Amino acid sequence: MTAEVTRKRTRLDRKFDKLRDAEEAGLLKRSKMNRSLRKMLGNRLAVIGVVVFLIIFLACLLAPVISSYDPQMTDLTQMTKPPSMQHLFGTDKLGRDVFTRTLYGGRLSMLIGLGSALGAAFIGVLLGCYAGYKGGLLDQVILRLSEVFMSFPQLILVIMLGSIFGRGLWNLVIIFIITGWGAVYRQARAKMLSLREEEYVQSMKAFGLNDFVIAYKHMLPNAIGPVVVNLTLSTAMFILDEAAMSFLGLGVPPEVATWGNILNAAQDLYVMQNYWWMWLPVGVVVSLFVISINCIGDGLRDSTDPTQQG
Amino acid sequence: MRNTLQYVLKKLLLMIPMVLVITFLIYWGLDLTPGDPISYMFSPDQLANIDPQKLAEMRELYGLNDPFFIRYLKWLWQLLQGNFGYSITNGVAIKDLLAQLFPATLELSLAALLISTVLGSVLGILSALKKGSVGDNLLTVAGMIGVSIPQFFFGMVCIVVFALNLGWLPIGGRTAPGMTGALAHLKFLILPASVLGISLTAGVMRYARSSMLDTMNKDYIKTARAKGLPEWRVNLVHGFRVSLTPVVVLIGFRLPTLIGGSVVIETIFQWPGIGNAFKTAVTGQNYPLVMMIALFSVLAVLMASFLVDILTAILDPRVKLE
Repeated sequence: MTAEVTRKRTRLDRKFDKLRDAEEAGLLKRSKMNRSLRKMLGNRLAVIGVVVFLIIFLACLLAPVISSYDPQMTDLTQMTKPPSMQHLFGTDKLGRDVFTRTLYGGRLSMLIGLGSALGAAFIGVLLGCYAGYKGGLLDQVILRLSEVFMSFPQLILVIMLGSIFGRGLWNLVIIFIITGWGAVYRQARAKMLSLREEEYVQSMKAFGLNDFVIAYKHMLPNAIGPVVVNLTLSTAMFILDEAAMSFLGLGVPPEVATWGNILNAAQDLYVMQNYWWMWLPVGVVVSLFVISINCIGDGLRDSTDPTQQG
Repeated sequence: MRNTLQYVLKKLLLMIPMVLVITFLIYWGLDLTPGDPISYMFSPDQLANIDPQKLAEMRELYGLNDPFFIRYLKWLWQLLQGNFGYSITNGVAIKDLLAQLFPATLELSLAALLISTVLGSVLGILSALKKGSVGDNLLTVAGMIGVSIPQFFFGMVCIVVFALNLGWLPIGGRTAPGMTGALAHLKFLILPASVLGISLTAGVMRYARSSMLDTMNKDYIKTARAKGLPEWRVNLVHGFRVSLTPVVVLIGFRLPTLIGGSVVIETIFQWPGIGNAFKTAVTGQNYPLVMMIALFSVLAVLMASFLVDILTAILDPRVKLE
């Protein structure tokens, strides 16, 4: 009964054949690498994302090494010069080097994005871990409160708080944390709710361990995974929010170079049409950076999800 | 049916404390911002003609020296009667101002919703049907780019390309002097609506794709195939129709993004709507207007999610049991 089954050979068939050949030849080594990492490396978009992210991140980090200009220094002999070898992205209306400003602006934009995401994650996890474990009134109150914050359209809430707090870099970070903790709280809480029924938790409870020790020391490491993955996506979101806020002239004070502020300078139509180098390269860099973070975030989510094969 | 009614009532009752907390926060914010509360109650014209003695009496009369919580309740009462206060900058009642701005925003939002729904569901379903193909991969990448590009940057590029360089469409605004006919008006709508719509499309596309993939694995699709129905009939009649219901529901979830996005888009395109007014109000420190617009946008989102809940409950009876 060895009837040949004829069907179209697919990509997967070829992959399996290759694997079988390698196995028969004894070439297949037992992979020592972490399974998640392996899955991540198999994801082309995520790998490209990591590369692009690293390039932009390192360039901004090493800004003083890469560029010899001062981001704030005005040079009135070099106003509105198009891109050249001296000025890669040209110069703006005050003769400042746009490339240098983009690098230094990136530092602040990344700081705001990552700082806000970390702050929001910290508060969300801190509250969500304990409240999710204990449940009861405290949990209900915080849950309702997070619902209140989450029912505001993100940008409206950010702008509204901005108008109360005033402009400033740290004000912006605080505002982003206020708007962002709710989502993390709900995520951490949901995970804790399912962990609460696990046997190890029940047994620790029976041993009479302190609630804080159970929640933060023993359960938190098992609940933190999705939060960390989401950290990437919320960093991207906050970078976009900062750019939008500063673009509208409501974010960081205009003299500070951030990605949003550089773009804000190009708001008038004359600049937009005639001095494309003042806004187009910065916009592309911001877009690339956010795309790369989102690719990494998606890749992380897929590779850490145990229900997905790979 | 009775079950549904109970569910609706339960959801409505749950919304009341939410609305109270939100109005409280908004009033608190209003209280924190600089400005004399008496100016929220009278139009500046009236205010200029009142002598200080009378003003102090009025302060007492209107309870501006009352404790914060009492003042909040009074403000809420005014709100319920439809008195939203006055804009500081030009003294127009906020109610009239919003009524005047709303049609423009509604027009832009509906157009953007239409574009993103049609484009998003069609592309999402196509990419689900051709899963793993080059087209699907391209659309996935395009979707990723779509959610990552700053809306205002996308808008700027479109203005430069289509309005300044090609000159096909106007740079911004909603009407031109001496303009007649719907067609001329449409020219103003195309660019902002497309930018807003396309930036919302990526989310719908991803959702439609996964929803369609979900549906195509269901047993009744296999049954339809097994019956020997032509492939297009299986896809369109059996798959598409069912997977589209959550996409319709998704309209409600897009509302927050839509409102936030309209602030940005209306500002770049000088569209005379609520989003533009919000930005101007923030820059001009016109706090009563800022707070009122924020309040209405939250209420709109709450209403939308309420309607979505009800709609899902009607479409999927299992929801009510939770």
